[in-house]
Amino acid sequence: MKKVWLLAFMFVLTISLVGCSAGSNQAANSDKTPATTSNGDSGKKSEEKVKLSLWHNFTGNDLRATMMRDQIDKFQQEHPNIELDIQAIPPDGYKTRLKTVAAANEMPDVFMMWPGAMTKEFHDGNLIQPINALLDSKPEWRDGYMPGSFDSFTIDGNIYSATLGLTPTSILFYNKAILDQYKLEVPKTWDDLLNAVKVIKEGGLTPIALGNKAAWLAQSSIISSLADRVTGTDWFLKAAAQDGAKFTDPEFVQALTYLQDLWKAGAFQEGFNSIDNTQMEVMFAQGQAAMMIDGGWALSNLAANATPEQLEDMGATVLPSIPGGKGNPNSLAGALGSAFGLSSKVEGNRLQAAYDLIYALSGPEVQKMTLDSSNLVSYKAELDESKVSPIFSEVYKLVNSVERTPVYDGVMTSAGSDAVNNGLQELLMGGDPQKIAQKIQDAQATSLQ
Amino acid sequence: MTAKARIRGVIIVGLLPALLVFTFFVIVPILWSAWYGFYDWKGIGAMKFIGFGNYLEIIKDPVFATSLRNNLIVVAASVFGQVPIALALSLVLRQSTLFQRIIRSVVFLPMVLSSVVIGIIWGYIYHPQIGILNSLLEWIGLGSWKQAWLSNPDISMYMLAIPIIWNFIGPYMIMYIAALQNIPSEIEDASAIDGAKPMRMLFSIRLPMIWDTIKVTVVLCISGSLKTFDLIYVMTGGGPAHSTELLASYMYNNTFSIYRFGYGSAISTSIIIISTVLIAGSQLLMRRNTR
Repeated sequence: MKKVWLLAFMFVLTISLVGCSAGSNQAANSDKTPATTSNGDSGKKSEEKVKLSLWHNFTGNDLRATMMRDQIDKFQQEHPNIELDIQAIPPDGYKTRLKTVAAANEMPDVFMMWPGAMTKEFHDGNLIQPINALLDSKPEWRDGYMPGSFDSFTIDGNIYSATLGLTPTSILFYNKAILDQYKLEVPKTWDDLLNAVKVIKEGGLTPIALGNKAAWLAQSSIISSLADRVTGTDWFLKAAAQDGAKFTDPEFVQALTYLQDLWKAGAFQEGFNSIDNTQMEVMFAQGQAAMMIDGGWALSNLAANATPEQLEDMGATVLPSIPGGKGNPNSLAGALGSAFGLSSKVEGNRLQAAYDLIYALSGPEVQKMTLDSSNLVSYKAELDESKVSPIFSEVYKLVNSVERTPVYDGVMTSAGSDAVNNGLQELLMGGDPQKIAQKIQDAQATSLQ
Repeated sequence: MTAKARIRGVIIVGLLPALLVFTFFVIVPILWSAWYGFYDWKGIGAMKFIGFGNYLEIIKDPVFATSLRNNLIVVAASVFGQVPIALALSLVLRQSTLFQRIIRSVVFLPMVLSSVVIGIIWGYIYHPQIGILNSLLEWIGLGSWKQAWLSNPDISMYMLAIPIIWNFIGPYMIMYIAALQNIPSEIEDASAIDGAKPMRMLFSIRLPMIWDTIKVTVVLCISGSLKTFDLIYVMTGGGPAHSTELLASYMYNNTFSIYRFGYGSAISTSIIIISTVLIAGSQLLMRRNTR
């Protein structure tokens, strides 16, 4: 019976071989690795041609991705002396790839990166350099940004990137037809909302669609704004820095309790922790729910999935105000979109080439074209309403008329955000707000050490 | 050189390339990962040596305990679900008539599908609003049993065990059928002449003859269950609130979602230790049964 063992052993070996060959195929298929690029650089420095590596994630077929790829092509035609080594990586795997080369200190020259935690990590690892000089050389571009557009890309007064987009995370979408049917107004206060939930639920419909399987949704879309209403922005920034405030403070526990009350009132449909964000948007678009609390990313999904009549019925507003809350009720949580960062190793004539590239891909025209492709920007650009859906222009106006507050996972550490995500799932299964607040506090405090 | 030694030489030479690849791509990374387990490391920046700090944290970590419990449920479901069902099916389907071949293919089919597809299929079966299971319950008049199958932490782990069992019956069944067909027909004929009834034939002839295959499948079953990741990741992502977290998904989340590479590596090492203990334990138990 030794044979069986031998067979089993060889079976395992074969499997591992198959796994390896699949892996090497992938490596062979993908474009040049950054290592080969940097080798090429040192060899060609004497020549006039400037080589730059560029990593981006505009791989899709949506309007914006195609537009950005066109801009890159245009840049290459206009700058024959700059040779780009481009890696287009699908968004799902992009962050992991970038983190991996960051860990190996083999950053590409110009690459898409995210504000907040990632910018800070790269800064601490001495992997990126500021682009203040570029911004100051184009003042009309710099001053075209909306206030606060450089916030989460700025460390010690140095700006590391110029944002390409704006993602409001906490919009209350509502279905006008359903609210009319139940003779309800758009909820302005917390009591309005609870009342609307009660009336719609009695009518047999889901009041608010929620898809919290991936766990970040309740954090990004609901608690980021809801807690800001209760605690105010200052408290949150202090608690996230663990400087004079803690997540166990009564105001945060109270914010958690508000969310739990909403759940207890039956606002969300059954099993919301096992359906995802897209399914929730479909529910709302098809009129199976009166409201949903979702981010700006919903706009492109809605445009793809909903009929023009359904889009016509949709409205957007901010979350209702909380009685006695310390935060500005006329505000909306939102994050700056990802943008191009510059490796700290780029210098000499390559630096000027990199500046040109970044400007060509983030300048005023690109901002305007991004907006026209139904993506919000943090830049003063005039919206051409004929090119977008009515709900998009409504959100555009909304975002431009209210104050922007931070998103929890944009400010907290990865481990802290993870604790909020899981804590909120627990909260919405009936967990104790005080204990959940303690877990969040512990995770944030430990990860800051 | 004797014939036996020569054959052994050929086997060794034949295995060598695979063995080398195996060493460099499996054994070395495992040791490497165990080494990272002694560090506090975020993936970027300096690595800080903290000795057994990560391992002490694992022992105290309630989420690790939940993952271990959930993982043991999966192991139990696999060993006591997949193995007996596959064995029963193989006894029924071991001949090769057309009908049996068709049924065999049907049972094997889930193995051909990618686990992401299986996860999505079962996600729709369990879907709280439009799920087949809930509609079925409604239709047969058991509407009160309707559930959010995957978000109720009391039952979600057991519900997840069902697709895991369903998914992996096929390959074990094929291995048992192969083993059963390897039993020399003389032995079966002789026992039939001696008057052995089907039950007696099963327990005295067939099961003992394929016992080693069963042992191998139990090992594969335990190690496979401890690695379970993809199906759970697609269906629940380990949630809600870690209630369906498994060791592998918890390791993944720690390493790649919140960038605690050191802690994630320590969890990987613990998975290896736990699975070695379980496999050794199961082999000991099964040895006593036969000899």
